[in-house]
Amino acid sequence: MSIASRLSIPLIAAFLVGAPVFWAFPDELSGWRSFAIVAGWTGCGLLLASLLLMIREPWLASRLGGLERMYVWHHRLGMAAYLVLLCHPLALAADGWEEQPAFAWAELDPGQQGWPGWLGWAALLALMAGMAAALAPRLSYSAWRGLHALLAGAVVLAFAHLLQLGLDYLLLWTPLLAMSFMLWRLVRADYGGAARPYVVRQVHRLAPDLVEVSLAPLSQAISAQPGQFVLAAFLDGPRFRGCREFHPFTISALAADGRLSLGIKALGDCTRHFQSVECGVAARLQGPFGTFLADQPRGPSLWIAGGIGITPFLAVLRTRPLRQPVRLVYLHRSSRDAGYLDELQALAAAQPSLSLTAMANADGVPDLPAILPAAADLVGVHCHLCGPPGLLTAAVALLQARGVPRERIHCERFDFR
Amino acid sequence: MTRKLFLLATGLFWLVVLGVWAASSRSPAPGEATPVRAMKRLPLTEVARHSSAGDCWMAIHGKVYDLTAYLPDHPTRPSVILPWCGKEASEAYRTKTKGRPHSAEADRLLAGYQIGVLEEGK
Repeated sequence: MSIASRLSIPLIAAFLVGAPVFWAFPDELSGWRSFAIVAGWTGCGLLLASLLLMIREPWLASRLGGLERMYVWHHRLGMAAYLVLLCHPLALAADGWEEQPAFAWAELDPGQQGWPGWLGWAALLALMAGMAAALAPRLSYSAWRGLHALLAGAVVLAFAHLLQLGLDYLLLWTPLLAMSFMLWRLVRADYGGAARPYVVRQVHRLAPDLVEVSLAPLSQAISAQPGQFVLAAFLDGPRFRGCREFHPFTISALAADGRLSLGIKALGDCTRHFQSVECGVAARLQGPFGTFLADQPRGPSLWIAGGIGITPFLAVLRTRPLRQPVRLVYLHRSSRDAGYLDELQALAAAQPSLSLTAMANADGVPDLPAILPAAADLVGVHCHLCGPPGLLTAAVALLQARGVPRERIHCERFDFR
Repeated sequence: MTRKLFLLATGLFWLVVLGVWAASSRSPAPGEATPVRAMKRLPLTEVARHSSAGDCWMAIHGKVYDLTAYLPDHPTRPSVILPWCGKEASEAYRTKTKGRPHSAEADRLLAGYQIGVLEEGK
């Protein structure tokens, strides 16, 4: 990743925090009250940066280092905003405390306040509830998405809180920009305004919980490279009713006529429903996203795939012959679940530069120290990994322990919550 | 990790809020601590007679203040505060520029200039 991409998000966040804090910086106020105002505007700036990173546009993702990186920073900045905003009412109370505790309580007690205070409390409570839902480990994806609306509600209430306080015109851009970012996300990503129409042409049932769907474009096709992914929502067909949510899927094959294939593993309610998708079902695709496998080094490569994480490697192998020696380690639960195993074995037999190691681990915990190459065989090797987060974390730690520098390790994670 | 941080921060926040409430319920209310002097009841029509830089009264939150002596010390330019002389200025006081109300310090400063309470309905 270039230095510009690496610095882009921190610099944008610094500007979005620094500008309102500079404009609103208090003069001649007590220390605690000044701190409260700075905390409020810092929280607003951090929230604004977090909302910007929710926008799902391929051009923006490529400039900011990828969608996955944007989502990591969206979480970081959202949490930082929450922590700073918690300090805002407490600092106001601390200002009153210097006089006496009753003044401190008067700053917090909704019963002693008017609309500005009530709206501030409502915004903070909505943010608190939204954050609790966003971090809840066992919520279904649709419930999680629905409860995310609480966070949007918190932003609207915070806007009303600022207006009630008599927001300076110069600072109006902050809440207006926040609303614009949310609207952009809603219209372009959630309602599919930026998505292109496709139709399901073929469905291959590869394993009990795995289908590969081939989609043909109904208008201009998405111009993608092997290793990239799209966000796809399936609509309705003759007998199939889609759940209309956008989910990320790696492209498993690309054809010259614009067709593309997606490997879909049943990992949640919606993807389980996709297993019964049929030909003729309409779909909407947004993308492409990602740079995984975009730069193929000339030297030897180690590819590690866990389960459905095989799809980006498969897309490369299906698209063009290898230019470098590749050792592909494919880890799966059982041969019954390994949908692409026969094709991979045929590809390895046809390409001398591809060496395939396929391992079934019924208990889900592969013996990585025994499976991965020894330190001496990893010198100068570029490692690409795609699979479940637990596998990636363990494999990366082991590769680093065996002397592979971090810049030679490239991972693809699908953790969009 | 993030979830733990959220739970810890949220828990601490509510603990502090509860602590402030508990401390305030044990301490005397502000009104009890400082006895209120008997104040003149002044109608808004009387306030309106003092509407110049040399004689500036304002009604804020039900109280009447003579701010003539304070005007030269007010941080903003005179054109911001002078139009409120002789008027009900609670809204202007609540919505100081830069998106914030006046500070608790300003509240305390203001108290020193009180000359009466506003007679309701007049």
